[in-house]
Amino acid sequence: MLRLLLQELRFRRNAIIGWAIGLTFLPAIYVGIYPQFEAELAGMQAIMDLEIYQAMGISLGSFEEWVASTVINIVPILVAIYAVMDGTGTLAGEEEAGKLELIVALPIPRWQIVTVKAVAHGIALFLILLLVAISTTIVFLAIESQIETTLVATDLLWGLLYTWPIVMAFGMISLFFGAFAPRRRIAALIATVVVVVSYFGSNLSSQVSSLESIQPLFMFHYLDATAGLFETGPQASDVLILLGIALVAFIWAVVFFQLRDITVGAWPWQRGKIPADTTQSG
Amino acid sequence: MTDYVIETKGLSVYYGRHRGILDVDLNIEKGEVFGFLGPNGAGKTTTQRVLMDVIRPTAGEARMFGKDCQKEGVAARDRVGYLPGELSLYDNMKARQFFKMYFSLQKSNTDPTYWQTLADRLDLDTTRKIRELSRGNKQKVGVVAAFMNKPELLILDEPTSGLDPLLQQTVMELVRETNQAGATIFFSSHMLSEVEVVCDRVGIIRDGQLVTTERVQDLTTQRFKRVRFKFATPPPADAFTQDGVTETTRDEQDVTLEIYEGLDKVMETAVRFGILDIETIPVSLEEIFLAYYGKGNGGSHA
Repeated sequence: MLRLLLQELRFRRNAIIGWAIGLTFLPAIYVGIYPQFEAELAGMQAIMDLEIYQAMGISLGSFEEWVASTVINIVPILVAIYAVMDGTGTLAGEEEAGKLELIVALPIPRWQIVTVKAVAHGIALFLILLLVAISTTIVFLAIESQIETTLVATDLLWGLLYTWPIVMAFGMISLFFGAFAPRRRIAALIATVVVVVSYFGSNLSSQVSSLESIQPLFMFHYLDATAGLFETGPQASDVLILLGIALVAFIWAVVFFQLRDITVGAWPWQRGKIPADTTQSG
Repeated sequence: MTDYVIETKGLSVYYGRHRGILDVDLNIEKGEVFGFLGPNGAGKTTTQRVLMDVIRPTAGEARMFGKDCQKEGVAARDRVGYLPGELSLYDNMKARQFFKMYFSLQKSNTDPTYWQTLADRLDLDTTRKIRELSRGNKQKVGVVAAFMNKPELLILDEPTSGLDPLLQQTVMELVRETNQAGATIFFSSHMLSEVEVVCDRVGIIRDGQLVTTERVQDLTTQRFKRVRFKFATPPPADAFTQDGVTETTRDEQDVTLEIYEGLDKVMETAVRFGILDIETIPVSLEEIFLAYYGKGNGGSHA
């Protein structure tokens, strides 16, 4: 199994490096430009109080708020895109490419195949966040003396790593849809909708009092993208809920992959019946 | 009690409303080379995929080594080498990396260097990335992967597909040698000539249903007889018009018939025109196959 896990990680090596490099620019720029724009940004707080910006979770009052509302708020969305791509590509993508048949035909239980792929996926997400966190921290160390902040370098590092549970949850949901849906593109579409609805749903429902009751339905509700994250860390209950969602999605992925007819590309309910009126297919 | 390596009973697979296979009863004995014949879409690949638990049966059961392919699939597959028909590999890996990974994922590992022996024999460069290999060379990778663990059962879906004639011969030699070493072989093929040479028995599948399973020799001798008569007097055109008989060629006094049934009646008719010579012409497996599919002479009798 270790060999398969290493192989799965090797398959993701280029993606991990590519996504980490690509994503590094965003937090590095947000952190790096702060000294030049600190005064202007403080003056923009009145604009940021507008509901539209509130809905987007943006606040610029201090460096801590700036980093939380930009880096911590946006990086998980971007990593979630990778989570959707890799999560749906892991089972559905490989099945469509025909690569899964040889692996499934090996004397390995299917649940082990899904588990190894899920672990590799989780490690890949963690490594991307870690690399982004390291580069962001390096940029922070370079500008630390020019800004007024209570943050230390490890706060930024941990702040970004705290987003792993939510991207893992999106990854496992994508894995599940990959095992459930007949085609990868359908799985990716549904998983993307989940990410987008979760993000905007969480922000909008936090601004509209009548929607407050449905806020817990959106996964981004459980991501603390405020300056408070750097002081107290994420709430244990939020982390547990996100990891719980990831676990449930993983279990469903195992169950549906266990039942799945590899190479067929059908919804679960399209299988297992001998219809009265039939035609030959092949 | 017969020692069956593969057993299916009433095996049916439906893809939605479309039938893949229906009520396939198949028994393959230990040490046999069994050829599975049928055109594209007949159900060969579906049957093999059910055995490998790649897809699940809608009805019926499939066993390998007495173990249920679904419930005890891991234990059963541990003794099997498999070459899928629609082979797709991890393109970014070198062939040797793939073999090492594939070997490590087998439970009953045998000889960790046997893949290199096989690769050398098939003249496969294992240092190249799979995406750089031609279709034929990718097929070689699949062949090596199937044979590398010296399995007790080989399930091969079109093993010589995409290979040049020399390599087709090498693969067939490999099949023979593996069989002589005690392995059972279950393979599908469109190359009826290779099936005829290598197989002990064949199964013909049509429209998802197993039409027949016979020893190759029995099939070619029993299905129909092709007889050429030379007559003293040319018989009239309708002389041999009867159920179970098809006149395939006629050249003045020479008449060739394919006789499915009613040989005695044919002989009665023939003697009336004075038989000068009579010759039984061997029937190839290909002709038998086409007859089953109604595409060759005598198809109406299939």
